[in-house]
Amino acid sequence: MSAFDFAPAIPLLPFASFVAILIIGHSAPRILPKGGAIPGSLATGGALLLSLWLLLPVSAGQYHNEVFYSWVAAEETFSLHLGVLIDPLSALMAVIVSLVSFMVFVFSMGYMNDEGETGLPRYYAELSLFSFSMLAFVIADNLLMAFMFFELVGLCSYLLIGFWFREDAPSSAAKKAFLVTRFGDYFFLVGTVGIFAAFGTGRFVAGETEGMRSFPVLAEEALNQGHQILGLAPETAITLLGLAVLGGVVGKSAQFPLHTWLPDAMEGPTPVSALIHAATMVAAGVYLVARMYGFYALSPTALGIIALIGGFTALVAATMGVVKREIKQVLAYSTISQYGYIMLGLGAGGYVAGVFHLTTHAFFKALLFLGAGSVIVAMHHNENMWDMGGLRDKMPVTYYTFLAGSLALAGIFPFAGFWSKDEVLYETLIHGLNDPLLLIAYAFGLVAVFFTGFYTFRMVFLTFHGEPRTDTAADPHPVRWNIKLPLVVLGTLATVAGVINLAPVEKLTGIHLTFLHDWLDGGFEGANAHHYLELLEGVAGYHAASLGALGPAVLSLAVALVGAGLAWRLYNVPDPTEHTAKLGSIQTLLVHNYYQDEYQVWLAEGVTLPLARLADKFDQGVVDGVVNATSSISLLSGSRIKRLQTGVVTNYAALLTLGLVALILIVGIYGGWF
Amino acid sequence: MSRPRLKLGPHLAKGVGAIALFVVLAYLVLRTTFPEVVGFPDGVNITASIGYALFNLPGGDVASEGFLAPFEIIDIVLVAALVGAVMLARRRVGGQVAAALRTGGEEE
Amino acid sequence: MIPTSYYVLLSVAVFCIGVFGILTRRNALIFLMSVELMLNAANINLVAFSRLFGNLTGQVFSLFVMALAAAEVAIGIGIILVLYRNFNDVDVTKPVTMRW
Repeated sequence: MSAFDFAPAIPLLPFASFVAILIIGHSAPRILPKGGAIPGSLATGGALLLSLWLLLPVSAGQYHNEVFYSWVAAEETFSLHLGVLIDPLSALMAVIVSLVSFMVFVFSMGYMNDEGETGLPRYYAELSLFSFSMLAFVIADNLLMAFMFFELVGLCSYLLIGFWFREDAPSSAAKKAFLVTRFGDYFFLVGTVGIFAAFGTGRFVAGETEGMRSFPVLAEEALNQGHQILGLAPETAITLLGLAVLGGVVGKSAQFPLHTWLPDAMEGPTPVSALIHAATMVAAGVYLVARMYGFYALSPTALGIIALIGGFTALVAATMGVVKREIKQVLAYSTISQYGYIMLGLGAGGYVAGVFHLTTHAFFKALLFLGAGSVIVAMHHNENMWDMGGLRDKMPVTYYTFLAGSLALAGIFPFAGFWSKDEVLYETLIHGLNDPLLLIAYAFGLVAVFFTGFYTFRMVFLTFHGEPRTDTAADPHPVRWNIKLPLVVLGTLATVAGVINLAPVEKLTGIHLTFLHDWLDGGFEGANAHHYLELLEGVAGYHAASLGALGPAVLSLAVALVGAGLAWRLYNVPDPTEHTAKLGSIQTLLVHNYYQDEYQVWLAEGVTLPLARLADKFDQGVVDGVVNATSSISLLSGSRIKRLQTGVVTNYAALLTLGLVALILIVGIYGGWF
Repeated sequence: MSRPRLKLGPHLAKGVGAIALFVVLAYLVLRTTFPEVVGFPDGVNITASIGYALFNLPGGDVASEGFLAPFEIIDIVLVAALVGAVMLARRRVGGQVAAALRTGGEEE
Repeated sequence: MIPTSYYVLLSVAVFCIGVFGILTRRNALIFLMSVELMLNAANINLVAFSRLFGNLTGQVFSLFVMALAAAEVAIGIGIILVLYRNFNDVDVTKPVTMRW
């Protein structure tokens, strides 16, 4: 019995829990333990154990690809199927997703059950479905399956953000999240169809099956041999297809300009936010880029766009996070910003750096959201940081774990976020020295580090330090083990997860410490970090400049410390005051999030709506007109021609006779009888 | 006066079609050259041969295919036609089958 | 010996007389007679070609045609009866209710 035999069970366990909670919760809610939290926790815990078990064979160099269910198998390569793909990347991601899901389930018992929420079976069923969709997306072995579960993830986030659907704000936030990500997914669908049309397959890896090819490898061959793809030059076609799929990534991973849904998504329950931000919904986008990195690595244009979007988003979101008053809003903008870093790392040729940051971010962002959830419980669901303060002594467990997460988020040595963010920036810099575009993106990223340090510690100081500013803060609601346990687990991980890839230390000391590099260097032929590096240098023309690791690391650490230090000066006082007014008109701009929402609403109402009206007029007038005219002409001519049918048998006979004569004459003349 | 008369009038105009058909067909027939007539040998009994042929029996003076099957089919067709004619002709008066044919042809 | 074309011409003439009758007359009974003429024109053809090729089949078939003509008349008379019953007339131009 190998661990691979149980790989399909990783997503199917949460699915079983979804079905069970749904049915039992509907028919007999009384017998459902903890409103469904127990079966959900068991299922995700089981998925976590199975994922951890998977690490054993994968670390031994065994990988797995199997078609689970095939519903269209046309020619040799073309098939639409559900398949399982276990390689270092998906195994790592499966562990992250199932771990965070498990933590969220445990935490939910404290956040939802103990707070006396209603509709718990629905909550846990949707949470299970969410975990199922994301795990199935992670182990998908082809683009179509990835697309299907990508959509399912979007649906689940819609359901969960709108969990309190009786209120206006959550339901409209849910709709917004759904529509904005759908807009991106539309491009993803176009890209998926395009890739199937161009290469005849959507497989990420060739797998063990004879005669199967993966589309990144086929694209690479077409590029090397100069074959046209879809009637275009191969470079153009690969760039266009890559950018189309990137549309879905930008929507799901909340990158500029489709980031607007994510801050609104804070209307959902806080554990859901943790799940969305750390492991499932938002991670799906960047995971997709990592999954088909062999394809993006063929197109320097697409990589450059990814890096620029990432760097720009990192900076813009970080500046917006600076002025927010609610703790979850700050975290929401930090998520957008951090995923910008991951995109930056991937686009700048740092595949391992991007995956590394994805991993550490999953831990510390889940931790921060759960910590925020703990604070929110303590504050009786008041999220305004200006009403908090002084919580450090009342809830030490939450404080220290939250601090660990914040240090990781701000990128302070030696927490996990430092190592991964530093590697992202380092990779961008060494590639950027040969590419001015990447250097701009690096500058964005470096400036964002300052803002990250600032808003993170502004949040920490306002929440936990100083004097209590309200009565609730002076006497917070106590939290139980089921909130503290996930915090401790994730806090430990956020502190030490950096050891999996201590690249700067290795450069300085020469001791081999880059385990994640080794891990991701394994994998199927044509889908591993080693091959991606060859592609980046051979095809995309990325060249790393030689640069010491210490300088950039110290630089980014210094920038982060400056940001944190400024927050310390401004907010670590017993009675902090708002300093945002000093920003003047910039404050207005930041509070309104650069008017992105307004601008998108204007785009919808000012451009799309008139266009739709015009199209409607065209449809009603011209298209329907043609159709109606056809039918009325038929009706009119029919009512005229039917007069031919007199009902008098003599007339029919006369017509028959004349017809026969005419026929004989025609046949005779052409047949030469006359 | 009950002798038939030739009734002339515009209703004869349609007959032009029949005349045209005749002209075309007659022209064609006159232009066609038929092969030499083979005919039947002298002294054979053609009527008897037809009888044998109808029943697939040997013994006719002129050899021919058998026509027993068409003969039987025609039999069925004739019976069906007669039964159909009776069906059409009978009529129901108050649920009773009335006489198929009556004198005068007046409806009651 | 009489040439075959004479027989065929006779057949064409009889057939066209039948057609003429159908085209110009309105009485259903005359229709039946005209149809009878056309069938017999076919019979003339069958017999003429039977003689031309020295083959008995044509003659046997003319017998079958006669049998079919009998069947046709039986049905035709039935239809005329129904016609008369419904329209009080045997004029074929009267019943036009089934058009359109």
